Amino acid sequence: MESQKDPLTDQALIRDDEVFLRMNFAERLQHILLIVSFTTLVLTGLPLLFYELKIFKSVFATARAFQFRGWLHRAAAVVLIVDSLWHVAYTVFTARGRQNFKELLPRWKDVRDAVQQFGHNLGLTGFLHRRGVGKKFFARHPFWLFEKEPEYGRYNFIEKFEYFSVVWGSLIMILSGFFMWQVELSLRLFPLWVHDIFVIVHGYEAMLAFLAIIIWHMYNVHLNPEVFPMSKVWLNGKITGHELRTLHPLEYRKILEERRKALEPESPTWS
Amino acid sequence: MTSLRLPLVIAALLAFGPAAPAAPSNEDCLACHSDRDLKSSAGKPLYVDEPRFQSSVHGQAGASCVDCHADLAKVKDFPHAEKLRPVDCSLCHEAESAAVRTSVHGQPHQAANASIVVSCKDCHGTHEVRKKDDLDSSVFAINVPDTCERCHLDAVRTKRGGDFVRTFNDSVHFKVAKKSGLSISASCATCHGSHDARPTTDPESRVARKNIIRTCGRCHAGIERDYLEGVHGKGYLKGVKDVPVCTDCHSEHAIQTPENASSRIYGTQVSAVCSRCHDNESLARQYGFLTSRLRTYSDSFHGTASRFGETRVANCASCHGFHDIRNSTDPKSSINPANLATTCGRCHAGAGPNFAKGKIHVVSEKTEAKGTYIAKIFYMTAIGGLISVFCVFIAVDLTRRARIRWKAKKTR
Repeated sequence: MESQKDPLTDQALIRDDEVFLRMNFAERLQHILLIVSFTTLVLTGLPLLFYELKIFKSVFATARAFQFRGWLHRAAAVVLIVDSLWHVAYTVFTARGRQNFKELLPRWKDVRDAVQQFGHNLGLTGFLHRRGVGKKFFARHPFWLFEKEPEYGRYNFIEKFEYFSVVWGSLIMILSGFFMWQVELSLRLFPLWVHDIFVIVHGYEAMLAFLAIIIWHMYNVHLNPEVFPMSKVWLNGKITGHELRTLHPLEYRKILEERRKALEPESPTWS
Repeated sequence: MTSLRLPLVIAALLAFGPAAPAAPSNEDCLACHSDRDLKSSAGKPLYVDEPRFQSSVHGQAGASCVDCHADLAKVKDFPHAEKLRPVDCSLCHEAESAAVRTSVHGQPHQAANASIVVSCKDCHGTHEVRKKDDLDSSVFAINVPDTCERCHLDAVRTKRGGDFVRTFNDSVHFKVAKKSGLSISASCATCHGSHDARPTTDPESRVARKNIIRTCGRCHAGIERDYLEGVHGKGYLKGVKDVPVCTDCHSEHAIQTPENASSRIYGTQVSAVCSRCHDNESLARQYGFLTSRLRTYSDSFHGTASRFGETRVANCASCHGFHDIRNSTDPKSSINPANLATTCGRCHAGAGPNFAKGKIHVVSEKTEAKGTYIAKIFYMTAIGGLISVFCVFIAVDLTRRARIRWKAKKTR
């Protein structure tokens, strides 16, 4: 670790049990509203995609239950739309929101990080290197040995990917869903075959989002042994100095640097 | 005719009566038969309820006992012989008797109960016989089902059994007759005929496929006209045996209104009725229509919602019509592209020409709906690709973590 060259000062500047705010209350509430609306939308939307499944038929056994399902779906959609608008306003009009968004923007480093993380986890090139395969190549390009894990900033490539997936998915779902809700308006503006695309896209994008959340997001914030059974950031918004150092070393060092600078004017008087 | 004939016969009897030796009068007969306990040696009651007879159609017309029990007219010594010839109604009612002789009731039943041959009295009763427009008559429209069901529920099994007959009692025809007292509703005899009732398999039967349209049309005349103008009716007129007739969609005995949830043509049930033929591959080949109608309907929101019991969505009949269903090329068809805006507009207020710019019942998206096809391919690739990447990444991540843990254990 970089911090090892000056451990004492570092530890003094950022204690391992110091608490940092990773998600403030507004961000947590946005996330919770997203969870509530997304879950409701999935549960009330899936029966339309898998109408043959017995379980959905028994849950929505009567016409009234089915109509309630539709009402619930649209109510959740309104929550999602309001949440999205809030998030956009938050991102545009607050300094913290703008800073977060800047940190979220994808960079080439994220692609590099993804390759490096995967290569490191796989450990295949290191194994080949130890067996003496491609010595020359690895001497010239040590990156491909993937000896170290990539160092992440405030948001790693997984989090950035998930964020922009939600942005893309919400946009698609809200637009297509709005026109499915207002079918008369849709067919005043578009021919039937375009409206049909809205319907198909709404269903498939839903499947994509559902699977991505169930597999990818659930692994990264719940089942991953590092955080199992659950990362609590979404509830209390807190992250410790230790977690910051191990999970977001670049951000950790940035804070360290800032604190050091803040101390600097006083340091000459010490010596 | 019948109502005229009886007084004539009686008038003739009265005119020529005195010439013959006096026949026993009703009073003579009732001298014994008014005894409620009078029984034959076999124990059969021989009591005749005089007031009931007097109020019957025969009693009111002044008929005497011996007009029907003709073999007693010449008997002088009483009590008469116990064994009498059966009453022969055909003496007066010749046309009706002739009709019965060629009907299903005139021949011995082909099933196990071969001994049963139906005679006049089984339906009309005996001394109490009344005119068919008399509310107390066993053959008054509202009472006919009870009369027929006396035998057809249990004793005399028709081909499809008593339960098939019993379903009539749940039908709209039965209910409006019994509950609303509507005497012009269909009873058994309205469709099957009365004296001339024939088996369904008999091509001359009123309920045979080739006659059923006319039979139902006797009451439902407007529907008969609509049906004959539609594609099914035109096929029917050409003698195509596979076209649906009334009963194929509405069922036979258990006919219900479309608003009744147990009806075959209830909103959510219609697609099942139509797809019996319209998803049948061999019928489709023979008559050149398209299949996969049910699947393509079910995939649409209309069809999916319908499966969950939602009745406000469109079913087959909402767009295609019902009795006068027409080919989409027919300018009068509700699904002719020129009429789609009107048809869709019945539910979707303000529907315009855009409703016709696309395809309903898409069987092959590749050829019929390129837009949705491309969207589907895009998403299937995206879903397949991304989920595979996720799974591989997770699997590799977990193996590395397992490897580290395993190494740590080993060194310890």
